[in-house]
Amino acid sequence: MTTCIQAKNVGLTFRPKNREPVTALNDFSLEVGQGEFVSIVGPSGCGKSTFLNILLGLIKPDTGLMQLNGARITGPGQDRAMVFQEFGLLPWRTVLANVELGLELKGVEFSIRRHRATELINMAGLAGFENHYPHELSGGMKQRVGLARALATDPEVLLMDEPFAALDAQTRDLMQAELLQVWDRTKKTVIFVTHSIEEAAYLSDRVVIMSARPGRIKQIIKVQLPRPRDYEMRLSPEFNDLKSRIWDVLKEELIDKK
Amino acid sequence: MTTLKSFYNEKEPYILGIGFIALLILIWESTPLWLTLPRGMALFFTTPSKIAGAFYRLLINGEIEKHSYVSAVAFLVGLGLSILVGLPLGLVMGRSRTLDALLDPYVTALNATPRIVWLPLLILWFGIGIWSKIVIVFAGAVFPMLINTYVGVKNVDRVLVNVVRSFGANEWQVMKVVVLPNSLPYIIAGLRLAIGRAILGVVVGEFFGSSKGLGYMIASAATNYKVDVVFVGVAIFMGFSLILTMSVKSLESRLATWRPEATKTF
Ligand SMILES: Nc1ncnc2c1ncn2[C@@H]1O[C@H](COP(=O)(O)OP(=O)(O)OP(=O)(O)O)[C@@H](O)[C@H]1O
Ligand SMILES: [Mg+2]
Repeated sequence: MTTCIQAKNVGLTFRPKNREPVTALNDFSLEVGQGEFVSIVGPSGCGKSTFLNILLGLIKPDTGLMQLNGARITGPGQDRAMVFQEFGLLPWRTVLANVELGLELKGVEFSIRRHRATELINMAGLAGFENHYPHELSGGMKQRVGLARALATDPEVLLMDEPFAALDAQTRDLMQAELLQVWDRTKKTVIFVTHSIEEAAYLSDRVVIMSARPGRIKQIIKVQLPRPRDYEMRLSPEFNDLKSRIWDVLKEELIDKK
Repeated sequence: MTTLKSFYNEKEPYILGIGFIALLILIWESTPLWLTLPRGMALFFTTPSKIAGAFYRLLINGEIEKHSYVSAVAFLVGLGLSILVGLPLGLVMGRSRTLDALLDPYVTALNATPRIVWLPLLILWFGIGIWSKIVIVFAGAVFPMLINTYVGVKNVDRVLVNVVRSFGANEWQVMKVVVLPNSLPYIIAGLRLAIGRAILGVVVGEFFGSSKGLGYMIASAATNYKVDVVFVGVAIFMGFSLILTMSVKSLESRLATWRPEATKTF
């Protein structure tokens, strides 16, 4: 498998004015292969979002190297797209205009981007809601828009920061299944941050467990479960065994640092 | 009968509102009939019919048109300039720390000074013609425009800015796609304030250093005890302000279709 993302000894310390500096990441190294689905779990505040933001190119690390396809990441680019936790939809834009955002910023011609956005909206099961505003949608629909928007520019890497955390349990199950389908079809590299061990285990090829702040990788667990995975699989003893392995590692971090 | 009743139910707020105004006008009009005013006060008293008469007279002889035109030009040019300067300046001061640090002392000092103190100087510099009025209108309206825009930009949703930046937007696109729409409610509120200040600027400017305009018309009528003409001027200002307020409101609701309140059904 060819390497897609490579983080080498990445370190980042926030230095807010008049406050103690916070080391969010310390000596963080990770390699992710092309088309791989990697989840990151870890205690709150351990630097998961920070890692995604560095990958996205919104923040620069103090130390170390962050590479995409062998080139250093220097800023945001259309080869990556993020799905945000609180959806991050522009409330004054319709569903259609939200999905078009990335294409519009890229300067894609109106008729082409409209066509592409409509296609994605249909795929996301949002046909008929093109001209609705975000506040008129349910949480699940909002995140479908978020996913469609991220996919619109056809990025190579999909970054997801607790994308389903704001959804109810049933919608969440549904969205997980849909995400797996999309991933299966598009073969994108996915970095998926979550607090749910179950979600991480169900979706991923590998689960990265981070230690409490300053965030380092504590352990990486490979998920051997066959694909395609379905809901039934979650009831299998292998799945439960995997979950408890992840939990055992994570638990120490949650208890220790309290 | 039933249709009349349902017509009333439908239009109740309007019927009540207009009815009450009509009643007040009637009481005002009839005051001289049941109340004998002392001579001194009677001189300064007028009735709605006299005001209407004066209005008609001034309309026919072109006085209203002449004065309104001068005031409207001072208002529109002054307000237009204040939007043209205040809005972009507020945007860049909100986004750039350097410009903020550079300009903030002047903005704060100028804004803290009552605009009227500049008037004598402005009249000396720009004469009693229209330009001193335009400048005083501008000086009053530009600060609410600038400061509200600035506050709006400072309150912009950082998550949304990051969302847009993550899709590769440059600073100009960030401004256009998030910052401006996100600060629009603040900007509209600033526009409302600016309109109020601009009208005040027109009145005050024309009161003190002018030979034309509605403010001049009011001031000179007052010195000649033409109370009905004063009321005509006041009524025209009221009408103007009302129309402008309603325009801003409709602009506001047109721009805010995306907001939850606009379509809330429960
Ligand atoms: N802009 C910032 N300025 C200062 N400190 C920050 C900033 N962003 C994050 N931090 C700090 O860095 C640490 C890591 O933050 P981060 O958001 O990456 O955590 P996280 O793992 O995503 O947490 P959560 O699971 O709660 O989302 C936290 O302690 C946070 O307070
Ligand atoms: Mg986070």
